[in-house]
Amino acid sequence: MNEFITLMKPELLLMAMIFILLISKLGVGFNQSNLMKLIQGMLLINFIAGFFMNGEGQLFDNMYHTSSLIVLEKNILNLGMVLISFLFTDWFKKCDHLAEVFVLMLTALLGMFYMISSGNLLMFYLGLEMATIPVAAAATFNLEKKVSSEAAMKMILSSAFSSGIMLFGISLIYGAMGTLDFSEIPALLNGDSLQVMAFIFLFTAFAFKMSVVPFHLWTADVYEGSPIGITAFLSVISKGAIAFVFVSTLYKVFQPFHEIWYNMIMVLSVMTMLVGNLFALRQQNIKRFLAFSSIAQVGFILIGVSSNSIQGATSVIYFVLVYIFSNLAAFGVAGLVSFFTGKENIDDYKNFYKTNPLLSWIFALALFSLSGIPPTAGFFGKLFLLTSGASNGNYAFLIIAALNMMISLFYYLKVVRAMFMDKNENPILPIQINFATKIALFVCGGGIVLAGFFGFVFDYIQALVK
Amino acid sequence: MIANLPNYIFFFLAFIAIFFAIMVITAKNPIHSCLYLVLTMFAIAANYVLLNAQFLAIVQMIVYAGAIMVLFLFTVMLLNLNADSEPVKSNLMKFAGVIVGGTLLLLFTAALRKSIGDAEPVMNSIPMQIPNHSNVGLIQNLGWVLFKDYVFPFEAISILILSAMIGAVVLGKKEKVQLSTND
Amino acid sequence: MLVEKLIIISCVIGASLGIAMYSTLLERKLAAWLQDRIGPNRAGPGGMLQPLADGVKLFFKEEFIPANANKFLFIMGPSIAMLLACMGGAVIPWGNTLEIAGRTVSLQIANVNIGVLYMFGVVSLGAYGIMIGGWSSNNKYSLMGAIRAASQIISYELAMGLSLIALIMLNGSMSLNDIVAHQINGHWNVIYQPLGFLIFLVCAFAETNRAPFDLPECETELIGGYHTEYGSMKLGFYLFAEYVNMFISSALMSTLFFGGYDIPFVSLFGLSHNLETILGTVFLFAKIGGFIFLFMWVRWTLPRFRYDQLMNLGWKMLIPLALLNLIITAVVGLLIK
Repeated sequence: MNEFITLMKPELLLMAMIFILLISKLGVGFNQSNLMKLIQGMLLINFIAGFFMNGEGQLFDNMYHTSSLIVLEKNILNLGMVLISFLFTDWFKKCDHLAEVFVLMLTALLGMFYMISSGNLLMFYLGLEMATIPVAAAATFNLEKKVSSEAAMKMILSSAFSSGIMLFGISLIYGAMGTLDFSEIPALLNGDSLQVMAFIFLFTAFAFKMSVVPFHLWTADVYEGSPIGITAFLSVISKGAIAFVFVSTLYKVFQPFHEIWYNMIMVLSVMTMLVGNLFALRQQNIKRFLAFSSIAQVGFILIGVSSNSIQGATSVIYFVLVYIFSNLAAFGVAGLVSFFTGKENIDDYKNFYKTNPLLSWIFALALFSLSGIPPTAGFFGKLFLLTSGASNGNYAFLIIAALNMMISLFYYLKVVRAMFMDKNENPILPIQINFATKIALFVCGGGIVLAGFFGFVFDYIQALVK
Repeated sequence: MIANLPNYIFFFLAFIAIFFAIMVITAKNPIHSCLYLVLTMFAIAANYVLLNAQFLAIVQMIVYAGAIMVLFLFTVMLLNLNADSEPVKSNLMKFAGVIVGGTLLLLFTAALRKSIGDAEPVMNSIPMQIPNHSNVGLIQNLGWVLFKDYVFPFEAISILILSAMIGAVVLGKKEKVQLSTND
Repeated sequence: MLVEKLIIISCVIGASLGIAMYSTLLERKLAAWLQDRIGPNRAGPGGMLQPLADGVKLFFKEEFIPANANKFLFIMGPSIAMLLACMGGAVIPWGNTLEIAGRTVSLQIANVNIGVLYMFGVVSLGAYGIMIGGWSSNNKYSLMGAIRAASQIISYELAMGLSLIALIMLNGSMSLNDIVAHQINGHWNVIYQPLGFLIFLVCAFAETNRAPFDLPECETELIGGYHTEYGSMKLGFYLFAEYVNMFISSALMSTLFFGGYDIPFVSLFGLSHNLETILGTVFLFAKIGGFIFLFMWVRWTLPRFRYDQLMNLGWKMLIPLALLNLIITAVVGLLIK
């Protein structure tokens, strides 16, 4: 029993929060801002509690397993969740269904935890479903907007489709091997064509969830239509969780197939970077812009995944951490602007610096980090990804990646130029930033600047991966 | 002949299931699609009976045919979808669909053939758990498996369903929501 | 072996149909009695041949299918309704075993170990007959009736299932045979599950579309509901299926809650086995008769629900009550163990 509590602590905490939120709807008279404070407090406690009393081991016949690395991954996601709750305080406070939004997001987070900790394909599939269905419901919570419903519809359909593909793959795996246990699968993988087929189906479903090109078509519409808090959740937390799982399943379970998946990842990575960057170039809506930029980032993550080494896994996890800071900062600013002014076009950001210097600096910093300009953390993140990718000696691949970084530089800087240099007669009015939001923005900014310099972060992750 | 009977029945049921599944997607009228889907469910349920899993079979019938498909029908009837409201797909789309589907079929057949052709010894070496056929479907045994080996996924599903329900309730609640006309 | 089963099957179906036939007469007689009228009394002595006359009339009416109706489904609707109604009797133990010429004959068509679930499945499929018929008539009143029926059946199925789970907990088996045996050895389930029985009873009314839950065919709002467009024997099938359903659900309630073919204290008399079995069967039919009478009594006593009342009753009253019943049963069961 004691072991159960230490091992499943992150999940149990999340469940406790979900139930507290559910009960808070039962007549206990919280007003919106108190409820918001309660949520933020609970998330903060949850995040801090993540550092104490952790264990390693497995439960329920290897259905669930955990290790220091997994705990770290969960903490990273918890951090993202805290930042989201702080960044979008204003939007959340206005939302009529505050408790429900958080219940759904926390359930999705719980699903991701299950997914990361799963030791069995069945549990894994359940976690994946839990990580998507609640978010799809939360995507409609801009109840007065039709695009919001459209986003949810697109998301639920595409995720159902990809789940179908994944289930098909899982059933083929069960048919070919007679087990779903992660610890038994590697020994049974012998390159049989049916197994390869099953693996490809599983891989496709992953690619869908991570919006790897050519499975990215839902991404931009969903990001644009969802409420900004949910968009940030989708683009940061969901993607980060899938990246973690990607690494752990490919490196551990499907290690015998690494020649197969190396080629697949290489092609997909090139396509993802190219399409993400080229489409981001011509976006006018800031949310769509960030959506395509996040697709391009996935392409870079895939480079790290392709290296099939400890360094690769480390760099992916490190990049996700950095990506959480940078992308959340970008979404935070975009969210503030769109919440207070309703403006979502890049042109609206012209001369933004004049009126909102703090926000512009944070936004610029985030974009620098996303594009990988030194000395931001994004630079180090991409550097590690590319060096670990280089260990395979496939330099053509790396040159394409480097070219893509150039392209991305162009469009990220376009936004920065709009904010700092372009003239505009009626720029966005000064925005009153909430205290909580300010803290979160500073944390993000600090993370972007400092995470690169603290080499021990990378070393720590590397030690855990080993 | 008699010894092979379950095999023949299986092939017959599989044929029925696939036939109706194809009818589901080719039928022009959505109501017909739903009804064909019900028949597909029945064929699958019959397959469970063949595996001695009566409980599973009857639950499949109650849950899918009896509840979910009724709701499907219900929705389709309320939406009043007809064969006319079926969107017309361009020939290019159809052509692309045929090519993709055909390629997938080809790949599959090839993979299965190759796998079954040369992997026979491997398949035999796998420690398959052949269930004790007369007892596998009994509720007691199912209960043991469900609440012992698979208790964790079982409980996890309940949270998933809870959250889906919360989402549905919020969306379904009557509210003074005005769809703004400008977007 | 096979012959025995065939004989039992034909007996059960014959009995279902025969009882359903005379239920129609009983219903009319009872209505007349409750309303201080005489009722049908022309065909045969005391109106005894009235059901036959009705049947003949339905058979000889013109076969009519509306022009815009989907012909195949239009015919399928009543057929499915009738088929499912007759399928229910398969797992009900109509009596104990008979010993004829050294052979033991069980008075049950199939002793399935999940008999309760089988019944539940048949009930839940019952919605199809109505939905298909209502939709294929291509008439909005029919469609409304069909949709009402579907939502009603689905809503009340939940409470019904929950009350059944408590019952299964109590008896430890899903086989109807075992449940009856359990009651013979102990007490009737209704003593332990009064709330469960009430919930089941209400749900049975709703599932069979009987008053006060007959909204799918509510003539004041929907003309005739799902069978507005039906005539001749197809209409007959629908009406008939309702009576068969009533018979089967009465049998089910007697079996689940009132001891089935059990006669209290019969073992004290030391009757021969066969005689006891036959008496038990007679007793079972007496219980069924009582329930059928209750069905009709309620029909002519209570007014029809409004639709939102029906939904509120189902979702906000019966389901919580059934859950409560379930929890109490589980806790008490654990404590006693």
